[in-house]
Formats: sequence, C-alpha cells, structure tokens
Amino acid sequence: MGAGIVIKGLEKHFFEKDAGLHALGPVSLTVQPGEFLCLLGPTGCGKTTLLRILAGLETPSSGSVDFGGSVSPGRIGYVFQEGALFPWLTALDNVAFPLRAEGASRGDARARAGTVLRDVGLEGFEGSYPHQLSGGMRQRVALARGIASNPDILLLDEPFSSVDTRMSHLLQNRMRELAEGLSSTVVFVTHNIEEAVFLGHRICVMGARPGRIVRDEAIPLKGERKRLSAGFTEILLSFRRTFEEQVAPV
Amino acid sequence: MIIPALIVAFWFMATRGGTALVPSPEQVMRVLLSPGSDIASCGSLFWNIFVSLSRVVTGLLAAILIGTPVGFLMGAHRLSRRLLFLVTEMARPLSPLALLPFSIIVFRDTTLTKVLGLTELRYSRHLFNEIQLGMVFILLWGAVFPIILDTMHGVRSIRKRHLEVAKVSGAGRWFTFLHVMVPASLPDILAGYRMAVGRCWMVIIAAEMLPGTNSGIGYLLRYSYQISRYDVMAACVIVIALVGALFAKGLADMGEARLLLRAEER
Repeated sequence: MGAGIVIKGLEKHFFEKDAGLHALGPVSLTVQPGEFLCLLGPTGCGKTTLLRILAGLETPSSGSVDFGGSVSPGRIGYVFQEGALFPWLTALDNVAFPLRAEGASRGDARARAGTVLRDVGLEGFEGSYPHQLSGGMRQRVALARGIASNPDILLLDEPFSSVDTRMSHLLQNRMRELAEGLSSTVVFVTHNIEEAVFLGHRICVMGARPGRIVRDEAIPLKGERKRLSAGFTEILLSFRRTFEEQVAPV
Repeated sequence: MIIPALIVAFWFMATRGGTALVPSPEQVMRVLLSPGSDIASCGSLFWNIFVSLSRVVTGLLAAILIGTPVGFLMGAHRLSRRLLFLVTEMARPLSPLALLPFSIIVFRDTTLTKVLGLTELRYSRHLFNEIQLGMVFILLWGAVFPIILDTMHGVRSIRKRHLEVAKVSGAGRWFTFLHVMVPASLPDILAGYRMAVGRCWMVIIAAEMLPGTNSGIGYLLRYSYQISRYDVMAACVIVIALVGALFAKGLADMGEARLLLRAEER
C-alpha cells in the first residue's frame, strides 16, 4: 500500500565557491497515501531538487520528510528525466535491476520484469539493448524499471519531456492506466500544464527563486479525462494563468 | 596481400645468387617449417616462443592483479587518487628496460621454481626455471601503468546517474560495485589490458636480448646474430611479428564487438 508523505519546512541551499543559491523552500506539503500529485512549475523552480530530496539523493539544508512509517530506499521507485538506462543491460535486465538489488533471484526478477514490460507495451523487446530502442521506448523501459518493484512511493522527474507530443500523449494514457493498477503514492514532476491536468489527482504549482508552492488544488475531474472536453480545457486555462504569472511576474 | 607478395618476390630474386649475409627465403622457410628441432643447442624455435609467451602471461597477470584494484581505488577514492597519481605519473615514463640491470641485481636468479618451492624441478628443463622474477618485474612495470590509468579513467567516467539509479533501488555497496561500476568501466579496463599486452611483447623481446637470461625468442634472435646464423635471425623476426599481430587481432575481437558498441552511449 502506498505511503503518505509529510514534508515540513523543507529548504535547500546550494553553495558554489562564494555564491550561494537558495534553491528551495521553505516548502511544507502533505501527500495522502495513494494520491497522484503533480508538481508543476517552470524550469529552475526547484521541483527536481524537491524530488531528489524525497528520493534521498540530496540532503535538505533544513526541514524534514516523513513517510509515515518505514520506507526503505528499495520501496521507492524513481524515473529519471533522461532514462538513465544501463547501456550494457537488455531492456529486461534493466527492469529487473531494482528487483535484483532488493535481493530477488535472477529468475524471479526476470519473470516480474517481463510482466511489467508487457504492461508498458514492450512485449518482444525484452532482449533489446537501450541503443537499439527509440526514445519513446527507452522512456517506457525507464518507467517499467520505476514501477517494477511495485514501490510504496513512485517519483517521476519529467519522464516524458524528451519525446514528441504524440508520443507523450500515448505515454500519458499508459501512465494513467498503470497508476490505477498500482497502489503507489505518486509524485510526478513536470513543466507541461496539460500533462499535469491530465494525470494528477492534485496539482501543486511551484514558483522560482526560492522554489515554493504558489497554488495547491485538487482536480475535480473524475473518471476518464478527455483532453478536448470543456471541463478539461477550463481547468487547463486556469492553471495556465497561474503558471504564466510565475514565468513572467507582472 | 600484393605488397607482402612483392616483398617476398624481391627477396627471392635478390638472394638468388647466394650471399653470405642475407639468407634466402628457402633457408628461412626451412627453419620455420621445423619449429620442433633444436637450434644451436638453445632449444627449438617452438620452445623459445613458449618461454617468451609464458613470461608475458606471468607478467601480465601480475600487472592485472595489481593494476586493476589500484585503478579502481584511484578512480573511486579521491584521497587515494591524490596520493598515488603523482607516484604513477613519475614512474610511468621510466622505461622498464632501464630497470633490467637493477631488477637482475635485486631478484638474482630467483625463478618461479624457487618461488613455488618446486626444488625437484631445479635441474630439469622445465618452463618454471625460465621464468625469472627479474623478467616478470620489468614486464609488470611496463604493463601496470596503462592498466591503472585506464581503469581509473573508466571508473571516473561512470555516469553519476547510473550510481543514483543503484542508490534509489536500494542496492548495497557490493551490488553497486559488481552490477554498475564494473560493467560501466569495463570497456576502458579492457582497453588498458590491450595496451598492456602490446607493451609486454615489445618489452620481453628487448629484455631477452639483454643480459639476464639464456632462453626466449629474443635471446635466440641475439644469439643467432652472434653465431652468424642469419637464417634463424630472420625466422625469429618473422615469428615475433606474427605473434604480435595475432595478439592485436585476438584482443581486438575480444573487446570491440559488443562492449565498445554498448559503451557508445554512456
């Protein structure tokens, strides 16, 4: 079952030589178990930093993150912006990697990895190496690797930003189906407003320097979301306004 | 294929009348075609090649066993790199051949037989009697630095992303080492080994021509020069070139095909 996340007064400063950068915060946020949260913001607003702190890849300068119990590193799935697949492993073994790291036997890990690859629509590409796959396929392998261990918490850092619009729509559709099947709590970072409205149960819009949350709202759309429906476009416009204010404050 | 054929043809024509200094192709072929027979009581061509190759293999193994872990340490650990980099950079340009006399003095007549305590082999004609530690040491010297530096380079160029993937997956240190660090740096490590093999073959031929041994293809080459057996001399040169070429070909096949392809996009 997905774990909740309680973030309190989280701040991050980067120090390089004499120039310091106040990258983030203070940010306080509570994510419900099983919730699909989209962190939406312009480039450089600290959303990736926030995600990296959640994953334990970055230590906060102050503040705390509480997963409401014990969430070990293996119970977190992370999908990087650019796949970061291992070029020396096949698609199947890339997906099996986190399972093997957790201690699963090679056979079990591969069996599970095969199932997940099928779920992301890559049946038949188990034996392909990353350089033999297209950009969209590589991102699907990365996504499969992130969800393979059925993590309590799934963190995604602009996973579909490097593919074209058509492909990213297909991947978003797939992401929705997968998210419904998973019990994970999801934090999805993006700068794409439509993507956030399409996927999220809830959207937090972030502003820059220092990164902070300027708008936090649940999406009232239930069930199937149609990108061209009136309700969808209305919400999209509303978030676009907030987003534009952050990019070029008036 | 045309140019080598022309050279042989020219060689054939030039030595037609028979000269004392330049052996004819037939004479050289006669030596090459009976590699098992003794030459001037130095052992056969085959035996001497075998001795030289065994020395190379021993020296190379020592260099791999020492160089790979040191390279990993220097790649992954900043303090070790700072401490050792200056040492390796100072030691590297020193030709292994310059160390040969010193090496002979230090190791004297210690051979693999003595090290392994196989005293019963001492006076028989056995390969282990021909592997002098002095020779192994200079081969080690010639081979270890490319291995250290390439391994270090390989480890340092591991993508940070890949290590982060291991970390968020909850991989332990050992798992990360085995499944991320080693495969990520393997193409560079193998490049270092390749370089080392080539250098070892160069070094051993030259070293065998110097004092310190009375076996090996390099020794046979020099000895045949001393006793004016120019046919044997030419045969030795051809064999040395062939073995060198086989090394290069075999190693190229080993690494290139899969590993370098996969290294392309890291």
